[in-house]
Amino acid sequence: MTINKQRRQIVKMMGASLVLLQTPVLAAMNNKDKKPAKIVWVVLRGAMDSLHTIVPTQDTSYSSLRPKLARAFKQPLLPLNREFSLNPALVNLHQMYLQKQLLPIVAVGSGYPKRSHFDGQDYLESGLQTMDHDTGWLGRAMEQLQTNSKGIAVANSMPISMRSTDKVSTWYPSRLKDADENVYEALMDLYQDDELLLSRLQEGLNTQAMAGNETVKRRGKFVDLAKSCGRLLASDNGTDCAMLEVGGWDTHNNQDLRLTRQLGDLDKGIAALKDELGDYWQNTLVMVATEFGRTAKENGTGGTDHGTGSAMFIAGGGIKGGQVLGQWPGLKTEQLFNGRDLMPTSNTFSWVGAMLQQHWQLSDRQIIKVFPQHKAYKQMLLS
Amino acid sequence: MSNASNKTNAVIAANRFGLGAKPGDLEQAEKNPQKWLTAQLTPVTFTQDLPGSNDLFQQLSDYQAIKKQNKKNNVSADKDKKDNKKRSRFIQTTYRQVATDAFVQSINSDNSLAWRLLDFFSNHFSVSANGPVMTVIAATLEREAIAENLFNRFEDMLLAVSKHPAMLIYLNNERSFGVKSRLAKSSKNSKNKRKAKKTIGLNENLAREILELHTLGVSAGYSQEDVIELAKGITGWSVANPVKDDAVGFKYRSWGKEPGNRVLLGKTYKQKGINQGEAMLKDLANHPTTAKFVCTKLVKHFISDKPEPQLIDILVKRWQKTGGNIKEVMLALIHAEQAWLPARQKFKTPREFVQSSYRALQVKEVNFKTLFFSLNSFGQQPFQAGSPAGYSDEQQDWDGANALMAKIDWTAMQVRKYSANAENVINQTLALQPTEHTYKSVVRAESRRQALVLTLLSPEFLRR
Repeated sequence: MTINKQRRQIVKMMGASLVLLQTPVLAAMNNKDKKPAKIVWVVLRGAMDSLHTIVPTQDTSYSSLRPKLARAFKQPLLPLNREFSLNPALVNLHQMYLQKQLLPIVAVGSGYPKRSHFDGQDYLESGLQTMDHDTGWLGRAMEQLQTNSKGIAVANSMPISMRSTDKVSTWYPSRLKDADENVYEALMDLYQDDELLLSRLQEGLNTQAMAGNETVKRRGKFVDLAKSCGRLLASDNGTDCAMLEVGGWDTHNNQDLRLTRQLGDLDKGIAALKDELGDYWQNTLVMVATEFGRTAKENGTGGTDHGTGSAMFIAGGGIKGGQVLGQWPGLKTEQLFNGRDLMPTSNTFSWVGAMLQQHWQLSDRQIIKVFPQHKAYKQMLLS
Repeated sequence: MSNASNKTNAVIAANRFGLGAKPGDLEQAEKNPQKWLTAQLTPVTFTQDLPGSNDLFQQLSDYQAIKKQNKKNNVSADKDKKDNKKRSRFIQTTYRQVATDAFVQSINSDNSLAWRLLDFFSNHFSVSANGPVMTVIAATLEREAIAENLFNRFEDMLLAVSKHPAMLIYLNNERSFGVKSRLAKSSKNSKNKRKAKKTIGLNENLAREILELHTLGVSAGYSQEDVIELAKGITGWSVANPVKDDAVGFKYRSWGKEPGNRVLLGKTYKQKGINQGEAMLKDLANHPTTAKFVCTKLVKHFISDKPEPQLIDILVKRWQKTGGNIKEVMLALIHAEQAWLPARQKFKTPREFVQSSYRALQVKEVNFKTLFFSLNSFGQQPFQAGSPAGYSDEQQDWDGANALMAKIDWTAMQVRKYSANAENVINQTLALQPTEHTYKSVVRAESRRQALVLTLLSPEFLRR
């Protein structure tokens, strides 16, 4: 949107009703040349291991809990501050951090008390204490917006996060086949006792590998989806928010290799999103979260098991980035949740609430409608 | 039967005999699995308002008339092109609609055993949608000749199929005429001899496939002489021309019939006219070798590629006792102990994999695009086998690595479109039957979607 066009729209709206002056969106638009405030919500399905992503290098328990994983990094870690470093695969996110456009938040949790992926993801998406599959927090937040807001989920069916509003639609590249490596890995495991199916799968994967990765591996890759998402948001058709999802984080084994790939994809995807957004990046907020964390201790197969506290990322051109948020609880046995998981010290939804309040100017009363059980943090996150 | 074994058998009933369980099916089946299946031996029903082969011939003929008219009136190339386009659209639309209807009915059906039996015989009497005429009528054969006789005697089905325009045209019998027929004689005297020579003569194609594929089987020991005799017996079995004959459908052209007695498999047929061919087909349908051939195919289809000879015998005996009554043969299969072995002995066919997946996901409507895309990705588009032998019914021909990779891609795509709770799907389709390993893999999958993919691709769901 050009500035002139935007002014025209504002004038039109002022003509319509003076009351509109009080509405949050207008306030946001009135703010000099700012592009409309957009939100991208990214769900990492499968429980991302935060300790291997935002590494607590100064915590003495870290390397004793994870003797193998702590030494597994093939490249030097990317330092954030004295306490934490990023996984070397997160090159672009690290650059954003240095440009004050990234806020890592450590030791967060949604409050979901158990360790089931399905329920944990539903919980993270619904934002309610008692599960309701028909309503999600992003959908409810959109309902609070006064504009003809629009949302888009990059998926074939509507994820719970965006349910409960009719302002949303789904989009997914139609010709994209999306069986990804995680499915293959899961099937390998599933077929372990079935000689025929196992041999067929191995043969099939070998053929795919020989056929060249370009055609096969790019199917449904996060970087492509993120790029399309950015393009959709920047096309200036009034889309206020979008949702992306990435699977493959359930790293019970071979974690370093798998996370290097996963984080690399995520990193490239966020960078592609930023590129496509162009000027819109200045007023876009990207929130990345996962259903729960993983065990503080590594397991016997070079991986980690389902845990509790994890981490989230906030990225965007207009945030107070370049700092690590969240209170670090420590990794000593007595500091761990149930003696095994990272203890969550702050709540995912309270961070999201703070973001919605500041970015979309939602009032306290509106936030209650989005998160009845959670108060938004008052800490200023936008610059 | 005890409760636990009833549960096991309910799963077998739904998966091995039927097209997989819809939600609620297993509870019904569990009460009495065999009774549940017996109750499914009821006619299959299609959407009523789709055209039958008679209508279609009339419509094809109307398009032909327009074409002629265009030529005569020397209309613009543009109009002619438009009319041609209309005709091809009509042809494609009909094919897709009719083929899709059967599929949609089957995934919604409560008598999926009957639908599977229909698919079996449709493949046994395979016709391919090649060329405009076959494309438009191929899918009507199973509706008109097979479904109608699904629970009758095999001879009824064989006769209906052999007289159906789709089969007559597909295997070129509609212009098979005796060299000693009245037609041949009159054209010999005709001035236009070149034309006569070109069109009149015997075509063995249908007769050969009846012997080789539909009745006795390729290794039954019949001779080339038998093929020719049968071909002569069914000379004149033709298809009406809506304009010249002012009729549609099967047309017996007596003037094309080869006169005289026929000898097939050592037996002499003295009948005249259409009766001769009918008598030959009836004998073929009731021949012990045919009983063995078709029953073996049935057992292979429903149970295992390496069937127990004992089980085949049970079916053959019932066949012979009941004059080849298909319903009775199916009842024998349902009540044979050997059909209920707990081990899953065969993969579902590609079509059945798609059908059972949709039943499990409670997908009720499928458009032709989705259907054709799906079946095409497994190489089994409806009525495209390209051979009168139909698609292979042997697992080794469709359980390869490529097929599995295609299934993985397809399933991943479907679960993005249709969501369902994987645990429910497991309970509703496999009940207590998945191994602990499968069950754990599913409930521990990293997302609901992946859980669903693993369910549909589990060894237990892929096999029956």
